[in-house]
Amino acid sequence: MMYFDNGATTYPKPQAVINAVMTAMRGYGANPGRSGHRMSLRAAETVYRCRENLARLFAVDNPENVIFTYNCTTALNTVIKGVLKSGDHAVISSLEHNAVVRPLEAMKEQGVTYSVAEVTEGDDEATIRAFRSQFRKNTKLVICTHASNVFGVRLPVERLAALCRLNGILFCLDAAQTAGVVPISLEDSCIDYLCTAGHKGLYGPMGTGVLVMRSDVKPDSLTQGGTGSFSSELRQPELLPDKYESGTPNLPGIAGLNAGVEFVLSRTPERLDAYEMRLGQRLYDRLSGINAVRLYTARPEADTHVPVISFNIGNMDSEQVAAMLDRHQIAVRAGLHCAPLAHQSYGTQEQGTVRAVMSAFNNEKQIDTLANLVNNFVKLNEKKVAIGDSNVLE
Amino acid sequence: MENNLMTFSSMTAVMKARELLRRNGIRAVTIRTPASLRRGSCGYSLRVPQRYERAAELLNQHNISFVGASTVDDR
Repeated sequence: MMYFDNGATTYPKPQAVINAVMTAMRGYGANPGRSGHRMSLRAAETVYRCRENLARLFAVDNPENVIFTYNCTTALNTVIKGVLKSGDHAVISSLEHNAVVRPLEAMKEQGVTYSVAEVTEGDDEATIRAFRSQFRKNTKLVICTHASNVFGVRLPVERLAALCRLNGILFCLDAAQTAGVVPISLEDSCIDYLCTAGHKGLYGPMGTGVLVMRSDVKPDSLTQGGTGSFSSELRQPELLPDKYESGTPNLPGIAGLNAGVEFVLSRTPERLDAYEMRLGQRLYDRLSGINAVRLYTARPEADTHVPVISFNIGNMDSEQVAAMLDRHQIAVRAGLHCAPLAHQSYGTQEQGTVRAVMSAFNNEKQIDTLANLVNNFVKLNEKKVAIGDSNVLE
Repeated sequence: MENNLMTFSSMTAVMKARELLRRNGIRAVTIRTPASLRRGSCGYSLRVPQRYERAAELLNQHNISFVGASTVDDR
């Protein structure tokens, strides 16, 4: 199988990730730091090592500010529901995922409102103006994707975060599509919260996510329970990361995530991005040479996009195209990708798009195979349409 | 008796402190916190057999909260 569904989750994982999960499961699968025995201590050491590596990756000086969640959605929910209260207002971009939109929709019942700022691809000034125009006196939080999970368009998040800081508004970055491929520094930016998945560009297992936050902007915790600290007290501890990490953590997942982050650190996000961008550009160039193929963005470039290529073949249903590719051993994703707002912006809400996302494990040969298959498919369908064959999908 | 034990509120703080001391060439052993000191502790402590004062200074410099104590059992 040639796998291009890396926007949903990366596959394959580095062998070191698989080994780390197996070692944790087989060798020291105890409750981290809770129990006093040496297996528990070793498990706690692994969890801490991962915290340290993530702090290094995102330029945070204190590993205690790195909080493990179960995915990016949980991290985003923690911020959105922990920060916003009745009467508060939030601003999001027009490219947000449902992981942002749905919690905000749910919070309408509690008196929280939100506005959508339209993103203008290729015009950061217009995008920033759009955000600024949505600010109100009660705007408390801006939640913004770093790059669209459908179209790969990057947003000027450092500038938006700085604008928010100037206006006394908290800024939350959804880095689900960029962590591991785009350098992110909390130290050098005004980002208050960074939410990301562990199983995408960080190459960890599914069931891992990360929330990194500044110490002075703690949201309320969504869950309360055992933390292994202050056990005699009935109230949830305030200290980080315990406030947000109730219950037994996902040790095998975190062990794997640690190996994934080490994989990223050893290759560097810059080099991974450069490699994947070359592949993305190659696919874009090949597809743009096929008349029936619709592409929706400008040619991806490192400063403006991540290598997420969305396309369609004429008016054909995107799911049908993905099914055809699946029959030829190519895994892509089709449909709305849980981001209906983005499809409204690009006029693809009915058709959806076929999405191919690169990882470190793709190569040029795979790109050419995908592009050739799309080209052959288009030609075959044109021929069948010409002879009146209604069964145009192969 | 001089202090040779540091107790912490969270396991993450224990790990952070131990790593800081290691990087500064100070040996610290993670042990289960003695019962008499366990209240408010995460259950783990660092035993610092040598250069305790320097260790405490480092932790204070890096804003790592701990409570100093001494233990008779210094095996």
